[in-house]
Amino acid sequence: MKKLILVLSTLLLLTGCWDERQFKNIKLVLTLGYDQGENGGIIETVSIPTIQRSSEGPGPESVQVISTDAVTPRDARDKVDQSISNTFDPAKVKVVVIGEDLAKENIYPTLDEFYRNPNNNLNAHLALARGKAEDILNFNSQSPTRISDYISGILEGAVAATHATGENLQLVCAELIEPGEDFSIPMLKIDEEQSVIKFDGMGLFHEDHYTGIDIPADQTTLFMLMQGKKGRVARLTKKVSDKHENEQMNYVTVNVMNQKQKLKIKAEGETVSADLKVDLKVRVVEYPADHLAESATVKELNQKLSEILTKEAEEIIKIMQEANSDIWAIGRQVKAYHPEVHKKLDWIEAYPEIEITPNVDVEILQHGIIN
Amino acid sequence: MGFWKRLFFGDHTKLEDRQPNDTKKEPKQPSSAKLSANIDYLMNEFNRTSDLKIRILKKGNAALLYFESLVDQEKVQEAIFKPIELGDVEDISNLPHSKETLNLEEAITTLLRGHAIYMEDGSRKISQFKVTSSFNRSPEEPANEKVVRGSHDGFVENMMININLIRKRIENRDLNVKYFKLGKKTNTNVAVIYLDGVADPEIVQQIETRMKDISADMIHSPGYVEEFIEDQTFSPFPQMLNTERPDRAVANLMEGRVAILTEGSPTTLIAPSTFFMFYQASDDYNMRWYTGTFVRLIRLASFIIAIGLPAFYIAVVGFHFEVIPDDLVIPVKSSINEIAYPPIMEAFVMVVIIELIREAGIRLPQPIGQTIGIVGGLVIGDAVVRAGLVSNLMVIVVALTAIASFVVPSNELSTTLRLLTFPLIILAGTLGFVGIVFGFLFILIHLSRLESFGVPYFSPVSPLRIKDLKDTFIRVPLYKMNERPKDSHAIQTEAVGPSREWKKREKTGKPQTIESGTNQTTGGDQSVSSDSSSE
Repeated sequence: MKKLILVLSTLLLLTGCWDERQFKNIKLVLTLGYDQGENGGIIETVSIPTIQRSSEGPGPESVQVISTDAVTPRDARDKVDQSISNTFDPAKVKVVVIGEDLAKENIYPTLDEFYRNPNNNLNAHLALARGKAEDILNFNSQSPTRISDYISGILEGAVAATHATGENLQLVCAELIEPGEDFSIPMLKIDEEQSVIKFDGMGLFHEDHYTGIDIPADQTTLFMLMQGKKGRVARLTKKVSDKHENEQMNYVTVNVMNQKQKLKIKAEGETVSADLKVDLKVRVVEYPADHLAESATVKELNQKLSEILTKEAEEIIKIMQEANSDIWAIGRQVKAYHPEVHKKLDWIEAYPEIEITPNVDVEILQHGIIN
Repeated sequence: MGFWKRLFFGDHTKLEDRQPNDTKKEPKQPSSAKLSANIDYLMNEFNRTSDLKIRILKKGNAALLYFESLVDQEKVQEAIFKPIELGDVEDISNLPHSKETLNLEEAITTLLRGHAIYMEDGSRKISQFKVTSSFNRSPEEPANEKVVRGSHDGFVENMMININLIRKRIENRDLNVKYFKLGKKTNTNVAVIYLDGVADPEIVQQIETRMKDISADMIHSPGYVEEFIEDQTFSPFPQMLNTERPDRAVANLMEGRVAILTEGSPTTLIAPSTFFMFYQASDDYNMRWYTGTFVRLIRLASFIIAIGLPAFYIAVVGFHFEVIPDDLVIPVKSSINEIAYPPIMEAFVMVVIIELIREAGIRLPQPIGQTIGIVGGLVIGDAVVRAGLVSNLMVIVVALTAIASFVVPSNELSTTLRLLTFPLIILAGTLGFVGIVFGFLFILIHLSRLESFGVPYFSPVSPLRIKDLKDTFIRVPLYKMNERPKDSHAIQTEAVGPSREWKKREKTGKPQTIESGTNQTTGGDQSVSSDSSSE
């Protein structure tokens, strides 16, 4: 009995702290950036905030941004470790920014390490940088917020306003590996004039690389609605007439209250076609031309909006097909439900050629508290 | 008639005064007719103790003996000398309220109980008078079990008063009190109280057997009794409920449990008890049941906080900082960044400091105790953080833990909780979350295994009995608790009959036809049971 106690307590007390990872002994990395390096290597940029302790709450903060050349992300991490005190740990990373050039190659090798190690934060936002990720991380904004908070704030705002899908490392993983399904990632850009970082549309991916083609920022809301995704607010501002002299009078702004999206895929022989139907129930939030109390005006506006949005949807589809980015996973559905058709087709070649007909139907339900 | 009846049918033993304890087993020393021989014998037996007072009366032919330390002089005057002075009785030995014996050993026990004895030369008769003095404090509310609403009296050091407080609350012929004399040298009076016909006789029997087995010189307090008769002395959990509140004792008696009272201590032991009994307070039953439930849930949550919070914090900062929410990462990091010691040391230091402050506060008189609280809590707490010895988060964690441990209505369990924190801290500091899981597992297994007088300690959760959960995590309205909990092993299970039938009657619109005084059970066809009222 005595021996047992001795053995147990020795086991516990001597070996226990083996895999201890003291929080105070690590350097937190909240933002990571990857860029194309020379000779197929990568450049990793990390931003490490260090906060001095003061008697009341967190004190002044200093941020260290380090870039290193390396062969792989893990190698880069070792190299970063050599130049900072303690070791760095990306377990609480908030944003991963990938440079345009690196993304055009293939993003999976860069992200592999995140999926392999269970300590990593798979909730981290993923974003593309127009130009270099290093520049985004080095960006010195006037606002006192941390760069990680700044970027993740932009991305979350974009999701809330129905501009982006809110892709994080976890969600991207499945789409990255699955053939016949593609995705899009928000694009960030530095606006030198106003000295801010800006959301700049959605970068379209084909399988595991960035195609170099974007959905522009002002069309992303419709792009999201076409995917059947709606954030907290989905606001569309469209020009509906040329009648008025005052330019502002020609525009209407609507909030989407309810949205329904349906994709019908037809596959016969060697032709695949798809019908995309998007039903939008909207509330008018801005329309200086007014007269919405009359049902004729409303009807007219409904029709006009439907027309405009359908046309825009066609444009978006054209961009997607040009990029060969199969966001709707039509390829997978064809493979699943019409395997004989899929066998005949080389899907990667076929997708840009298939016919996708969008039909956006807008119905105004509310027009605010004035008539 | 009585004489003939007794001669033919009755037993032929002589009727005797009822003694609290059986005196027949005691050794007999027949008194002598010679006064001096009796006095010599008594003096020798008492080793010529100085406070044995001997008053020689009738010119050396009679003597009155008593312990002046046990006897109320006024009562002596009132009971013995006054009747003589007034001329009601001629001789002290003829006083009607005296109790007579011919056994000197019996005289010794009564002397020790505070009686005075009177002996005359030429007679073997010893007259005993009850003139005991007793010093009682008033039955004030116990300081460690205060309630907001409800009765504000408490047990005192005198067992008779305590039993009185219980009998006043249960006017029932089935309330049974059994006296024991425990402690070979101290002869402490201990009473076992239970409600006959409700309490399980087997448990009563078991308690009695275990009490009779006690062979110690001294039974100093209920804590002694507890350790002699409880099932598992090596368990950290108390297996008998300690209370100083008559209402709590009575409620438990009514559930079919047994109370053990000790002379000289206001604490009553309740057995068999379960884990959840320690979380019930008299207050719960005096509030609205929603509030009662809410408070009960908070108390039970405090159990987890009290034993698990420091361990959880240590595991998080030492092993799994991924679980810290994103927005908290920077504040947490900044507060622990420059602390010299590992979190497990921090926690140990802070927990020990809190215990020091608490222990110091208890022993010191009230005004100094407060000063200690302020110095310890505020000054040390603040300074320790400013000096960078302990992170301010750890101070928050340990303070919360200490508060949570004081929430338990029973001081017994509260100390247990504070002790259980330590193994969990060590486990968390060495193995992280895995350690905490193992620790809780051990505690849970132990709780499920533990028994108190043959009753599972962790019931009604393990073994699960959903019906009895009515008064554990939640407190349902009282009329819904119609059955006694199974864990008390009560042989009469029904506690509350249908008591709210009036509501049904109101709904059906049937007029209430009770004519006052004549017939109380008019609604017989509706199976309205008025049995409880006519009992």
